[in-house]
Amino acid sequence: MNRSPITLLVLTLAPALLGLAIFRAYPIGLAFYESLYTTVAGERTFVGLGNYADLITDAGFWKSLRVTLWFNLIINPLQVALALALALMFVQKLPGMAVFRLLFLIPIGISLPVAVIIWRIVLLPEGFLNGALGIVGLGPYRFLTSPDFALYSIIGIATWKGISYWMIFLVGGLQNIPQEINEAARLEGASAWQRLWLVTLPLLRPTLLFVLVADITINFLLFAPVFMLTGGGPRGSTNVLMYEAYKSGFVFGDMGRAMAIVVCLVAMLLVIVAIQFRLLSSAPSKEAC
Amino acid sequence: MSPAVRKALIYLAIAVTAFIFVAPLWWAILSSFRPNDAIFRDLFPFTPRALLPEPFTLDAYVAIFQRGFGSIIANTLLVAGLTTVLGLIVNALAGYAFALFEFPGKSAVLGVVVVSFMLPFEAIAMPLYSVVSQLGWIDHVAALVVPSVANGLAVFLFYQFFQQVPKDYYEAARLEGAGWLRILWSVYVPLSLPTCISAGLMLFIFQWEAFLWPLLAMPAQQFKVIQVGMAAFQDQYTTAWNQLFGAAVITALIPMLLLIPLQRYYVQGLAGSGIKG
Repeated sequence: MNRSPITLLVLTLAPALLGLAIFRAYPIGLAFYESLYTTVAGERTFVGLGNYADLITDAGFWKSLRVTLWFNLIINPLQVALALALALMFVQKLPGMAVFRLLFLIPIGISLPVAVIIWRIVLLPEGFLNGALGIVGLGPYRFLTSPDFALYSIIGIATWKGISYWMIFLVGGLQNIPQEINEAARLEGASAWQRLWLVTLPLLRPTLLFVLVADITINFLLFAPVFMLTGGGPRGSTNVLMYEAYKSGFVFGDMGRAMAIVVCLVAMLLVIVAIQFRLLSSAPSKEAC
Repeated sequence: MSPAVRKALIYLAIAVTAFIFVAPLWWAILSSFRPNDAIFRDLFPFTPRALLPEPFTLDAYVAIFQRGFGSIIANTLLVAGLTTVLGLIVNALAGYAFALFEFPGKSAVLGVVVVSFMLPFEAIAMPLYSVVSQLGWIDHVAALVVPSVANGLAVFLFYQFFQQVPKDYYEAARLEGAGWLRILWSVYVPLSLPTCISAGLMLFIFQWEAFLWPLLAMPAQQFKVIQVGMAAFQDQYTTAWNQLFGAAVITALIPMLLLIPLQRYYVQGLAGSGIKG
């Protein structure tokens, strides 16, 4: 009972801070350290920045980086736009909306691997989607085994699973916009479309930015669908950096190269997180709360 | 455009969206009740019977449990349950300390805690493998539980809540001679039940949905958790469609049973993570 505040502090803080230090911060340092070594036939040798130099001249790395960037360039704006559309529908006050709201929330309870298993069968040449497309005389398509479709199928699956989650944040943001502002704009004669672009979106900007950046950090590291569906193929069309790093380290045993790729990924992410802090702290932040 | 037409169009958009969310799930659920050779029936040409569970059978579920899916569920409940209980204790203690005590460097440490949860777990999964193998925990349950216990978001949620509790409560309890642990337990915890539920749900769902980390940390696959177990199942029984659907339905059902009644708290917790922006 008579412990000094110092002992108290240590006792209460230590478990959480130690956990975060050992299992969050230390791995990042260790990744950098291990990226400076290479393992040949069980012998670890120091190669300095050799792994990074190898990456720069490695066509496979550049191709994988291109896939990752292209993937993110499409999926992030798409998910934010659809999540916004979903949020705008979610807040409509129409009869029967309670049921629709529940349906909109369903994908949150579904994990990505579950979504992948279900969609893999739905997307088979003889599956449900091709059956449904057959009604209007389209298909059948090889959604997962054609290099033209595979990446976009993964984008579709991740979007189907992901947007309800982001919608929640946007619904929160929408509900924080005072009704009177919209009402005033309506009385001034602004159409619904004008009110969306001139009133709602500017006021929603902080929330939209938060969602965009948080979404990017998730999608940069997307792994499960590539691992379960395509293994990076067909012809490298879905070989994102996260999967390339996994293959390097855990299939080919080249931990040095794997860690160098992870360090590059984390560096890109830290830049994105820094940009987020910048943008959000400069934005009028009342609506974010 | 007249208001009635507009309303009808909005309704149509909402209904189509809901259909896109529900249709694949509905097909998965009803297919899990069909015999395997009837899964793709009624699709070419497409007839409405494709959306009905007939012929009806429980064969898929019986087969899944004969193949050991029950122990995979038990494993995952163990890992997620342990993480939730330990995580609530550890993170609530830290949140309590941050909320009640002033110490040099506090805001810097809090800042690091916040950054730690903005960097997703996947980012460090591969180097974490090295850390955990240095500790000798590869293929041990500890590898799944211990690294996930300390959670920056949970610390932050507790910190935020405890900060709003008037300091008078603490002072009054101190004057009556209560120790700090007693104050936490009998004053702060009862007040923070909603926060406990949202943080607990977050920890539980995080473990339930974990895929990459258990894949790396348990290479022997003796102790399988559910997402990895399901993926392995998919590799092994590629064309047992009805069983794959059954496994997916069970895997989705358990977090849903928690999420539907506690939805409000989960959303609150998420909203809390957005506030710091």
